[in-house]
Amino acid sequence: MRAVAGSLHGLVGLAPIAGLVLAWQVLLTAGWVPSALLPSPGAVLARTVASLGDPAFLGHLASTLYRLAAGFAIALAIVFALGLAGATSRIADAALRPVIRVLAPIPKIALYPALILSLGFDDAPKIILVAADALFPILLATYGGAGAVEQKLLWSARAAGTSRAGTILKVVLPATLPSILTGSRIALVVACIVVFLAEMITSTDGLGYLLVRSGRAFQTVDMFVPLLAISAVGLALDGALAAARRVLLRGFPEEE
Amino acid sequence: MSRAASRTGAALRPGLPPFLACLALLLAWQIAARFLAVGGVPDALSTFRELPAIIGDREALGEIAASLRRMGAGFGLALLFSVPLGLLMGRSRLVSALVNPLLMVGYPVPKAALMPLIMLWLGVGDAAKILVIVLGVSLPIIYHSRQGARAVEEKLLWSAAAMGMSGPARLARIVLPAALPEILVGCRTGIVLALITMITSEMIARQTGAGNILFNALDMAQYETVYAMILVVSALGIALDVLFERLRSGLTGWAEPIPSPAIAPA
Repeated sequence: MRAVAGSLHGLVGLAPIAGLVLAWQVLLTAGWVPSALLPSPGAVLARTVASLGDPAFLGHLASTLYRLAAGFAIALAIVFALGLAGATSRIADAALRPVIRVLAPIPKIALYPALILSLGFDDAPKIILVAADALFPILLATYGGAGAVEQKLLWSARAAGTSRAGTILKVVLPATLPSILTGSRIALVVACIVVFLAEMITSTDGLGYLLVRSGRAFQTVDMFVPLLAISAVGLALDGALAAARRVLLRGFPEEE
Repeated sequence: MSRAASRTGAALRPGLPPFLACLALLLAWQIAARFLAVGGVPDALSTFRELPAIIGDREALGEIAASLRRMGAGFGLALLFSVPLGLLMGRSRLVSALVNPLLMVGYPVPKAALMPLIMLWLGVGDAAKILVIVLGVSLPIIYHSRQGARAVEEKLLWSAAAMGMSGPARLARIVLPAALPEILVGCRTGIVLALITMITSEMIARQTGAGNILFNALDMAQYETVYAMILVVSALGIALDVLFERLRSGLTGWAEPIPSPAIAPA
């Protein structure tokens, strides 16, 4: 019964999306918008499907994914190191918090020109930009989560003979995991967006470059393809992380 | 005595550590640039010497002001429809079920990347840039408004309904104030996003603005200007954050502080 209601709700949600696509098509068939400016949804879909069989397109997709993965991995490694430092040493914690507080609201994309000047036009500045942008959502969430660990749990663990390092590993880390995963989910979407923008600014490959190239050639159909692709990548990775979360956090209350 | 000491300590605390952190970061930059000599990184002092050339320049200041104006306009427009929509989604299951999938699909779309397409439709002027900022800002505000509206105490709403308050009035006079702390969390994320989208949109449609100055300096390899502009943009980001924090504690000083969530996407 509940499942039926749930799927009904799901169907209701499809209505606006379908309506949007329909309105898009109506705009075109009524001739209010020239198809040079707005290609038909069918044409966009057909081109996207055709692109998936095109090795050149897949190559661009692969380089975007590579930058995404490398940047995200670097961000995770830094979070791990800083989180560990903050958890083990009070001085490190007191020093790190204000630095993070200052750096977090800076729009990282503004640093991109500096990265290009120092590191050239290759993968390196893009990967570092992705890492810088993905870092703070995870870091802030991790700090928030670690700060909320019940003090009594720590005392109990220590009283029961667990070493300091053991408490971090066995109490703090599992208690912080939900926050880390929530932060990672936000960071993943940020990373998708930033890698795309970086590729739009300076690049010779990647999905963002494809968009700029099609834009210069005034090929509107081709402009939609990389946009759809990066959104699909974002949705797929988000879904994968949500699935990982369900496995890792069995028994925790589900987040919305 | 010790109480007074701890009180002054608490009074000093909010501003001082971030300020010290700023100094430490600048110092680290200066030392790194001097001794590591990474290719093309000017040291902090010469970057600061470059600042008057931007801040003292009428044209540059005008461009930065134009950027801020677009950002304000985009943010304001987004607020106008995002908050009511979010509150409505929080209170009505049907609206939530109707709109949520659309928002979920839109969530990972890089909004600033829509700029080339929107430019085709609206031209390179302010309209396209403001629209992109509106798109970038609205999602977190909608999301947090919804979360806030969900957590409103039911009894308050029942009492209001029993006293004859209409649906829209309940939304405006009970749900809105009760959800305000959470809405402001969304606004804070939104400000960061607005700044990012502003820079990116100006970088794609190079005409005016802070992003334009930044990326033109990059094209001409004016290292000092690039770094000085980064300082200006960073200062803007931090200043907006601090200002907003002030506004928030003024508006919702009564509420338990909500731990600031992670900075969300562009």
